[in-house]
Amino acid sequence: MRIGQVTARLAALALLLAAGAAAAEAQKTQWTDVVYVPGRWAGGKLVTKASANPQTDSLALVMRLDYFSAPPKWRAEIRRTSDGQTMGGPDILVGEGTKAVVLTALGATPLEQHVLGQDPLVRAAVVFDRNGRAPGPTSGRLVDRAPDGSVSRVVFRRSMRNATFADALLDPGARSGGRTLLASGIAAVGDQRQASVVATAGARGVDRVKTPGGDVPVTPDSAAIRRMEAFAVGAVALEDFMRTGALGPYAVKSDSTGRHP
Amino acid sequence: MTRATRLGAAFGAAALLATAGATDAAAQGILDRLRQAANIARTLLPISTDKEIEIGRGIAATIAGRYPVSTDAALARYVNLVGLTVASADPRGDISYHFAVLETPAVNAFATPGGYIFVTRGALGIMQSEAELAGVLAHEVGHVNRKHVINQIRKSDTMREVRDQLDIQGAVLDRAVGAGTNAIFMGYSRDDELEADSLGLEYASAAGYDPGGLAAFVARLNQHAGEGPVAEFFATHPKPDDRVERLHAIAQREHLEAGATLEARFRQVVGGTR
Repeated sequence: MRIGQVTARLAALALLLAAGAAAAEAQKTQWTDVVYVPGRWAGGKLVTKASANPQTDSLALVMRLDYFSAPPKWRAEIRRTSDGQTMGGPDILVGEGTKAVVLTALGATPLEQHVLGQDPLVRAAVVFDRNGRAPGPTSGRLVDRAPDGSVSRVVFRRSMRNATFADALLDPGARSGGRTLLASGIAAVGDQRQASVVATAGARGVDRVKTPGGDVPVTPDSAAIRRMEAFAVGAVALEDFMRTGALGPYAVKSDSTGRHP
Repeated sequence: MTRATRLGAAFGAAALLATAGATDAAAQGILDRLRQAANIARTLLPISTDKEIEIGRGIAATIAGRYPVSTDAALARYVNLVGLTVASADPRGDISYHFAVLETPAVNAFATPGGYIFVTRGALGIMQSEAELAGVLAHEVGHVNRKHVINQIRKSDTMREVRDQLDIQGAVLDRAVGAGTNAIFMGYSRDDELEADSLGLEYASAAGYDPGGLAAFVARLNQHAGEGPVAEFFATHPKPDDRVERLHAIAQREHLEAGATLEARFRQVVGGTR
């Protein structure tokens, strides 16, 4: 067989594989839920307050959930905040249909046998049907209410346009699954990064940068960027800002109401 | 695109390149083409979030070197609040966003990898509402989300010698910063700009802002065409008329509802600082 024929067949095979992988990608979805409860953060403590009206009452950010789904399998990375702003490390749950396990460095534990299974916010966050599909809108605001009508949580949901995550993310991987995934940095997909990256770039002398008007000499100002990173607006200030402007979780657009079991 | 898809596509491309003249071609020719394909495949090396932030910080320092960062704390706070509100609609959660104002009459906004976003005093000067500011910042968040600068760096010669993340340091890191800075100041591709427009519209609207904010800002730029402060903006962005038309079409197609414009709040903070 001539080299040309062999390579042509290889090309066809490779392109078929690529097409197959692309089709599998199309089944995947990925979204993020930012979860608020009625109340507010005060002095590093969450002060909850009953609310029937999430439009006007203050809401406190409590957790962020990053979901990766290829029905019936799914994965949820749960990050909590202890100050309304900074997110902690992830608790990772993977599931198939209605079944969920918590991944730890030691292995996989069924949710109902894990302490996370006692947390109503976690249980509300991993409600999937037997086909592995989650209720609620693909994007927008979801208000969960208790049977008495009070607001139990407000979810601000955003979907990613293109879900491109490794299939291994959805695999409990028995004992080593959690450790492997965490160690590989895949867990950082939904991580809120801390400012721990060493700034080695930008410590240079004069650069010449290209602009439409020609090259311009520039002396990088790393100190300005450190000030920019250090500048912080507090969680309460951000919530006040959004509430007074009817923005974020207080926006009335695309409102949905749901009730989880 | 997953690694499997990328590898499949890369090997497909390699084999096709080899096929192109392989009927009786010399083995050397095939090897050369495979080498070419291997070089292409190397530019597909993903850049980790840590490296993205490190590169972005270097680019941000260069931008801050060209235009001084404003020390007006009230203005910085306001721009951060608006920016964080629209960034909350960005599902990419692996980075923290930082916003700042640049003290220059030039009308522009910049976003570096890793979430460092700048808007100029000149741009604030022609805005009339918070929705316009939100639209501009959301557009920049869109560039960060889609890693437009990182993708430009990956396509540049900078990455030819890079085999893994550990290689992105020292001189290679500085070259990556240089390539990224040039990409930002010389302008993104038309496709990248239009994608950022589309995402910006989506984020601003999802955050509760009126989806017409970005279009209103871009349309107003036309009134300043020919003026010095907008010259660079016009040189590095698609024509305003095309963008406005497309933004309106997207808003209509996606059935985006009207939202908050917040002119008074914008005037209260920004008006007094112009």
